[in-house]
Amino acid sequence: MLVREETDPWGLAVWPRIARKYFNIYRTSLMERVTYRGDFFLRSILRFLPLITTILLWRAVYAGSGKTTLSGFAYNEMIAYLLLVHVSRMFSSMPGLATNIARTIREGELKKYLLQPVDMIGFLLSYRIAHKSAYIVTVSLPYGLLFFVCRGYFPGWPDPTTMVAYVLALILGFFIGFFFECSMGMVGFWMLEVSSLLYIVNTMNFFLSGHMFPLDLLPGFWVAVLKALPFHYMAYFPAAIFLGKVNPDDLPRALAIEFLWVIIFVVMARCLFRFGVKRYSAYGG
Amino acid sequence: MINSILRYLRLYGALARYSLTREMAFRGNFLVKITVEILWLGILLAFYATIFSKTSVVASWSQYQYLFFIGCYFTLEGILETLFLENCHQFSELVRSGDLDLYLLKPIDEQFLFSCRHVDWSTVPNIFMGCGLMGVALYCMNWQFDLLQVSLFVVALGCGVLMAYSFLFMLTSVSVWLTRNQSLHELWWLLTTLMRYPRDIFNGAWAPMGWFFSFVIPVMLVINVPARVMVKIIEPEMIAWAAVSTIALVSLSRLFFSFALRRYRSASS
Repeated sequence: MLVREETDPWGLAVWPRIARKYFNIYRTSLMERVTYRGDFFLRSILRFLPLITTILLWRAVYAGSGKTTLSGFAYNEMIAYLLLVHVSRMFSSMPGLATNIARTIREGELKKYLLQPVDMIGFLLSYRIAHKSAYIVTVSLPYGLLFFVCRGYFPGWPDPTTMVAYVLALILGFFIGFFFECSMGMVGFWMLEVSSLLYIVNTMNFFLSGHMFPLDLLPGFWVAVLKALPFHYMAYFPAAIFLGKVNPDDLPRALAIEFLWVIIFVVMARCLFRFGVKRYSAYGG
Repeated sequence: MINSILRYLRLYGALARYSLTREMAFRGNFLVKITVEILWLGILLAFYATIFSKTSVVASWSQYQYLFFIGCYFTLEGILETLFLENCHQFSELVRSGDLDLYLLKPIDEQFLFSCRHVDWSTVPNIFMGCGLMGVALYCMNWQFDLLQVSLFVVALGCGVLMAYSFLFMLTSVSVWLTRNQSLHELWWLLTTLMRYPRDIFNGAWAPMGWFFSFVIPVMLVINVPARVMVKIIEPEMIAWAAVSTIALVSLSRLFFSFALRRYRSASS
């Protein structure tokens, strides 16, 4: 220890090693992801069905109402929104994350993280980034094609500032999604069975995040409530930025609030993990 | 023949009783599941209310006609979830782990065993909630009782259930090739997208797609035919087509399943 402090007072030598460790987790996870291709492709193809039916449903709604805009959304913007929500969810949805954490705790597998020099949340984050990048690369072609076909619905590319804000919102959305799901999984330290709880939360999230339709369509009071909650960062917020529905002057403040939510969820996940490990009994395994 | 039917009925009764006993052992879970379903219905209704706060008609379906459609969908989905969905979900895991071998040795029909092993009692309330919605919709429409309409509706809904089951079962059989079909629930959910909306929204340039999914791969008939019979008009030719499709799909799903089983490699057992 003394020797290291003399030659490397800041402990810099360990960083490449740590980076290599997490990069290797990333690489292995990426290989696992592409092993079961059939399942993956079938799902990716079928994913377009809800998109088509929602577009057609909203077309029928606009036709039925006889109006050109509903709550500030023209028909084209509505469709663009519903397409953009998919991009938001591409970043923020974390299928299976909380379930896996809860299972790791329940079946006693958690001790592998406690014994080995690897942090569980760090491991899962590398793993998830691998899955996300594989997913985004694979679907970028069909999605690119879809957006190209549907380009008529879009008002055009936003200005560079908006674009930067959009990308930031997507990345922050990924972290909110990740640490939120992580925290949900940590509930497994206190409850043996969390799948039902997760199901409730995911169902609520589907609605509260604005995945089904722009939150602005709801009555005014509910719009204010839902925009104060963190869920809308996982779907509504990035899409709204792209479509210029967020006032450019408000963008820095809105992104700062989103960043604050990321920190809140990081702290929450970390705290739950620390308290959880204290009462963890390494049952099973 | 009758003996064999009776034997299967007795077996099914025993399986259903066993599932109920198991479900009742975890009452807390049962209550949570019901909460989820009520929540989901709430979200569907909030979506529905939001849409109809902006318009009075969606592709020729008025507010209450559309409410009936949603009720019909909820009922059908409830029936499928209660009877088949969980069974089909377990099938892919049996394939992956190789545990399927054990079941194949049992002296009963494989399709019966894999699709009826377990009855999911926690989704039975969905069926009642769906029926409740249909009732409310009919009441709001001042519907007058008509025996012919009701009988045709029951027949059409029965056909809908059997068609949906056949699709689900074929999707399940695919797991023999995919090995890992973790996402059957999701795949099924995606496929039901085609059932959840009135066919009339597929108009204009999209009409061929509506036609394709009604007459080539008849997914759209599942809810559209029964709902139209009850709240729109009786179309005898569509009911007949639904009946023909049902027979064809049930047979096809059976053939496809036995074809898939022959490809089963019994890995890792």
